Amino acid sequence: MWEPYDVPRSEGTRIHRIGDALVCIAVEMTGAGDLLAAMPVYPEAGTQKKSLRKKADHAIALPPLEDGAWSRFFIGKAESYELSPGYPPLPACVSLKETFSLPPGATLDGWIFSRVEARVLVAGNELASFPLVKPYKTLYGTPDAGVVCRHDEAQFLASNEPMFDSLVTDPGLVAHPVRLKNASSEPVRVTELCIYGEQLSIFGVGTNMQSERLLFIFSSSGVRMSLDGQGPLPSGATVLAKPKVSGEERFIVRSFELFKAITRL
Amino acid sequence: MGEEGAAIAEAAPVATEAASRLREFFPSTGPLGRLFTMDTAIIVVRVLITLVLSLVFVGLVVTILRKVSKKRMDARTGGLFVKVVQYLGLAFVAFAVLDAANVNLSALLGAAGIVGIAIGFAAQTSVSNFISGIFIVSEKTFTQGDVLSVDGTSGIVYSIDAFSIKLRTFDNQLIRIPNETLIKTKMANITRFPARRLNIDILVTYDSDIERTRDVLLEVAAKNQDVLRNPEPVFMVKEYGDNGIELFFGVWCASDEWFQGNNSMKIDIKKRLDAEGIQFAYPTVTVYSKKA
Repeated sequence: MWEPYDVPRSEGTRIHRIGDALVCIAVEMTGAGDLLAAMPVYPEAGTQKKSLRKKADHAIALPPLEDGAWSRFFIGKAESYELSPGYPPLPACVSLKETFSLPPGATLDGWIFSRVEARVLVAGNELASFPLVKPYKTLYGTPDAGVVCRHDEAQFLASNEPMFDSLVTDPGLVAHPVRLKNASSEPVRVTELCIYGEQLSIFGVGTNMQSERLLFIFSSSGVRMSLDGQGPLPSGATVLAKPKVSGEERFIVRSFELFKAITRL
Repeated sequence: MGEEGAAIAEAAPVATEAASRLREFFPSTGPLGRLFTMDTAIIVVRVLITLVLSLVFVGLVVTILRKVSKKRMDARTGGLFVKVVQYLGLAFVAFAVLDAANVNLSALLGAAGIVGIAIGFAAQTSVSNFISGIFIVSEKTFTQGDVLSVDGTSGIVYSIDAFSIKLRTFDNQLIRIPNETLIKTKMANITRFPARRLNIDILVTYDSDIERTRDVLLEVAAKNQDVLRNPEPVFMVKEYGDNGIELFFGVWCASDEWFQGNNSMKIDIKKRLDAEGIQFAYPTVTVYSKKA
């Protein structure tokens, strides 16, 4: 699924199904070069039935290429495009389906999942990036100092071992091994976790995807996410996406923000 | 002594020749002749050189500061800092030029005290605006690009200067607001925080099912992509009004998407309430007729 494809010059619109979403790719031929048109199609809520999926792909009514729903890009004479997974530009706030309490001093290992976006690349350049479910936003933190994030909802699996083979069937989900540590003196109720995807890679493990291990430290001053090493990565894993920002860069930016906040400059 | 003396002896006739040419244009007995002496010419040259060099120096310092402040400070603080250095630099240029012109600065400074008081009265407003600017900077209430509402005028902060700020209104006018006004008036920074609540007042008829209306509004908010999932929407029955039941519904949007959220929510609410048969209330008068 996450691989290069020939530009569909003579076959109409090509439809890629990723989970419940469809990514449609078409080409508009012009004299000087071609235009690649891409568009996501999301299922209407409550209409998804697996047996009907294949039928739905053929029955789908797409707007004409001139419609604003399509994103169009000049690709010249390029022969191929690539579908690649990527993290959303906003941090993802993963709301846990079952919340739990973490006692003071406790450390818990587990897995959570967030949704990737489908990126369309030509010659290594990203043309478009589409969420794989209708994207909703949420505020992580308080209205005066929070961060606007993309809203995700997922289960927390309290386990050291990767469990996604049995539990995760959606190809649009990336699994994050996490370690939660309560460094405060009070019990913490874990209801949501905020993931900054720009610092993370995506490793392809068979048909599933996985990131580096994340460490969440809950202290009296708030929650901090950091990378906690590689985590358990099965053999044969391939790198599907690299981090957009390095940890060092992020550290420098945050230090400067902190300096500005302290000095009020 | 030998070489130096020879050089002086060589230069003397040239200087004398230049002086005599000057006297040809301005005879020494005339008023211009008394003004345009060789000493005056030297002073003029010295003043010009001082003026050029000091302006270049100040210009260089201001350029460097402008670049540094752009990277290290927000637009408002940086702009004010550069302006202060610019004015101090110009004062330095003025003193250097006057010194080069052999003007007695102590007398001038004495006179400047008196003139300063006069100018102080004349420039009261400007000084007040300048000092207000410093207080506003220390409060750090807004920065370039924020959306402000000042005394009924709303717009995006276009530029921040020593004496005033300029707002670009949404219908593309440039409004100058003196810093003093900002200190005295109630000012709202609309985009300071990441999220902003959209307050919607709804008036429904008395025969409407309030609980059903609440559920419908919550469903509309849950389906709208411009509405944040957290913080949760607020629903309140405000009042039993003269014309209907006054409801309040508040949803949160990202500050930069508030406008879009306002439109999409109001359109969605109208559509859903119409579809559900929940009616908006209008001013009504009930007339009772008494049977004779």
